[in-house]
Amino acid sequence: MANLLWLQGGACSGNTMSFLNAEEPSACDLVTDFGINVLWHPSLGLELGDNVKQILLDCISGKIQLDIFVFEGTVVNAPNGTGNWNRFCGRPMKDWVKELSDAAQFVVAIGDCATWGGIPATAPNPSESVGLQFLKRAPGGSLGTSFKSKAGLPVINIPGCPAHPDWVTQILVAVASGRAGDLTLDEFQRPKTFFTSFTQTGCTRNMHFAYKVSATAFGQRKGCLFYDLGCRGPMTHSPCNRILWNRQSSKTRAGMPCLGCTEPEFPFFDLAPGTVFKTQTVMGVPKDMPAGVDKTGYVKLTAAAKAAAPAWAEKDIFVV
Amino acid sequence: MSAADTNETLDKITKLLAGGLKTRTEGIPETEKEFGEILNELRALAPDDLEGKLVIGGFINHPYGEEQYRCMECMYYLVHRKWCDLPELAVPVEPDWWCRLWRI
Repeated sequence: MANLLWLQGGACSGNTMSFLNAEEPSACDLVTDFGINVLWHPSLGLELGDNVKQILLDCISGKIQLDIFVFEGTVVNAPNGTGNWNRFCGRPMKDWVKELSDAAQFVVAIGDCATWGGIPATAPNPSESVGLQFLKRAPGGSLGTSFKSKAGLPVINIPGCPAHPDWVTQILVAVASGRAGDLTLDEFQRPKTFFTSFTQTGCTRNMHFAYKVSATAFGQRKGCLFYDLGCRGPMTHSPCNRILWNRQSSKTRAGMPCLGCTEPEFPFFDLAPGTVFKTQTVMGVPKDMPAGVDKTGYVKLTAAAKAAAPAWAEKDIFVV
Repeated sequence: MSAADTNETLDKITKLLAGGLKTRTEGIPETEKEFGEILNELRALAPDDLEGKLVIGGFINHPYGEEQYRCMECMYYLVHRKWCDLPELAVPVEPDWWCRLWRI
């Protein structure tokens, strides 16, 4: 039996909604098949008011063993570092986060906001939001770079806006079933099993990427979304086209550009007008290249690909 | 557009450019904002205003600049159709031409 506590800071509940839609395993499977005891969750917990507070205090004191502390949303520090804009059970949430993280065997940050600040931390960041151990790409965050939970791991970051439900439940099962030692984390403390490949890996538009044929409107089934519509699939680490959403689709499969929501910089360019859904270029050349590709190589590759492109690559082969 | 119409339009454009049509090759958009402003100008044209598209698009009938940029490598160019697939332009083009909306 592993005790799990889930709290929300500066959050929209999107990751909770995602979590509750998990299928392999489902949220119910966590309880019935994998021995996870949900101490409290904002959408599932039965306790209210002082009873919730008592659970938190018992976790901090050790009266209740806290095995997994899950946090969703940013840690809010406004105004002026006090955290009073986000109070919970009579005190700033950031204070609960600090003490519960110190008490927990494992700490798991769910979603971009909890991992590195996400949209609330976008400039000018009026809520003074940070993630648990990062603010965007900068290490530190609310708990500091040296933080390790009782089990000796830093915060396990599962980013996304929202995170895919199965990323969440599969990591929780691994931790709850004593296989946390099998997890390897990347430089941003994301489980490598999910965040080593790219969103582009498994994308159905890869042949259009290869032959440099661009989609020019949302929803088109022909063409690659990278060249014109701002798709960040070639440089975003996520398994969105390997572990499909709703078991059947993904943004790019539906004709919607990847927004890069598992990367620390999300949302990119501070959401300045004209930067969303538009590939940013300098004199016609993409500002952000596919990971590991330089400009010279990209130009050469494009010339070769265009010269070699077969006629079918220019047609909508999905319409017959 | 039928193949015959496409050929006719391509021939017309070829003649216009060869005849010295003055197009706006200056003001290559450096940012998406500038790119978007040119698109807005194009959207304001009548759909059949071919000359307007060429002028605002900044078409030339040869590669551009030291690096010899040309339609052939542009994202919007469909090699087999010899067609510019940028919706605001949507015109037949030759691979060795170039315009200021070129992107790779």
